[in-house]
Parts: sequence; structure tokens; C-alpha cells
Amino acid sequence: MKRFDSLLLRAFLYVLPLFILLAVFAYLYSTGAVDRNAPYAKFLNSLGGLAIALEMALSLCLSFRLLISAPFRDHVIARITLIRERDEREAHLTGKAARTTFVTSLALLILLFCLSCFQVSLYRVPPEKAVDGKTGMITLGLGLHFLNDGKLERPEETIQKKDIFSYQGLPVSSTSVILLLIAWQIISYNYSMRRLMK
Amino acid sequence: MSKTVPQLTIVNRLHVLRAEQRLTQEQLAKEVGVTRATIVAIEGGGYNPSLELAFRIARFFKTDIQTIFSVEEETI
Repeated sequence: MKRFDSLLLRAFLYVLPLFILLAVFAYLYSTGAVDRNAPYAKFLNSLGGLAIALEMALSLCLSFRLLISAPFRDHVIARITLIRERDEREAHLTGKAARTTFVTSLALLILLFCLSCFQVSLYRVPPEKAVDGKTGMITLGLGLHFLNDGKLERPEETIQKKDIFSYQGLPVSSTSVILLLIAWQIISYNYSMRRLMK
Repeated sequence: MSKTVPQLTIVNRLHVLRAEQRLTQEQLAKEVGVTRATIVAIEGGGYNPSLELAFRIARFFKTDIQTIFSVEEETI
């Protein structure tokens, strides 16, 4: 099992840069920034699909092994962060760095949750719907949407407003949020550990 | 009614013993199986070793733990 874990981690880490490069290429391909008729473009796009499928399969295996194997977790953390625990003091510092990472990640998650719920709208209404002669309106709200299709859109004709500024939920996709959280975990752990080891 | 718990500060004579034996931090670290940074941290008071490491250090200097590590009581 140890050999399988080692191979699994190596495969995941070696495919990752290729996966990132091909993901960037696939994005450029989909936006039309790359000539779609070029023979290399189709080949690279297909290769990107294959790399994504491979990386997904590896991620699933990796996540499963990380859940059940404690020695594998130690091995992975050393490989990802390039920091190895050489003695008991460094193991102690790992705990402190992990605690910092946990708390800062929690703070980030709470911030993202608040931002995803927050709604603000600044708009003008027609003169006949003015309140005390004022046509400029601002609405603040808190919206909890547990499902993607749970948003209730108000029909335009009942509002007849002209938006000046409107903010509802996070302006980035769920993929970006997940990527941000992964990067945050790795960077936060690395930074904390290096600062503690000084 | 909260009881005042005394704050214990652990001090050590590791640098003294090391100097007596003319050992470098690197040599001592190698002998007790830790990194030099850990010896630096213990001598500077920045890190209190585990019981296991304390016993290993004491065994290396052929003495008991209390000769190397002692407690200074402070009340908070």
C-alpha cells in the first residue's frame, strides 16, 4: 500500500503542471483566442480532456487515501509544502501552523459566506413611483440561497427601476472560490510554518 | 472563586554542560537525534523538550534531568 500511495502522489503531482497548462489552453481555446482550426489546437484540446479525466481519477483516489491513512497525510503534507518534520519541535510547529491555517481558513469561509448572502441595490424609480419626491433608492438585504436555482427573480415590470449599482452574491464562480481556498490552505500553512521555524 | 495557578518557567543548563564537554550544537543535535535548530531553541528557552528528549539529553550527559532542567515558579 505504501508503494501504491507513493506512486499515486507522484502521478498526481507530476500531472498537475500539465493539467494547469492544458486548462489554460482549453480556456483560450473556448474563448477563441487560439485558432481552432490549427491541427495542434485540436490535439492539445483533446489532450487537455484526457489530462483532466486522469487528474480527476487521481484526485478521487488521493482524497480517499487521505481520509483513511494518517501516515499518507504526513507524507502528502511534506510533499505539498516542501517542509519535512525532522524532529519533535518541527512536529510541534506543524501543529501550530495547522491551527493557524484552520482558523484563517475558517475566517475566510465566514467572510465568503457573508459576501455570498449580502445583497445591495442602488437604483432609480420612475417619477410617478417616487417616495416623498425622491426617486433614488437603496435596498440592502440578506439572501440565503442553498440551491443554485433557488433565486427568486422579481419581474422587471413590477419594479420598473433603473439600476445604478447592484451586488448580489459572490461575483466569482464556485470553481474560483474552491481554487482560492486550496491556494489559501497551502500558502497559509507554508507561511506559518516558515515563520515559526525562524 | 478562581484559584491562582502558578506559572512554571523551565530553565536549563544545556549550554553550560555542552561547553564543559566542548561540544558544538550540531554535534549534540546529532547525538540526541534532533536538528541544530531544536538545540538552539532549547538553549534559548524558546522550546521545552518532550520528556523523551529530556531523558535522551540527560542520558547523553550521564546525569539526571533535574541537573539540566529546573523550574522557576512565577505567580500570575
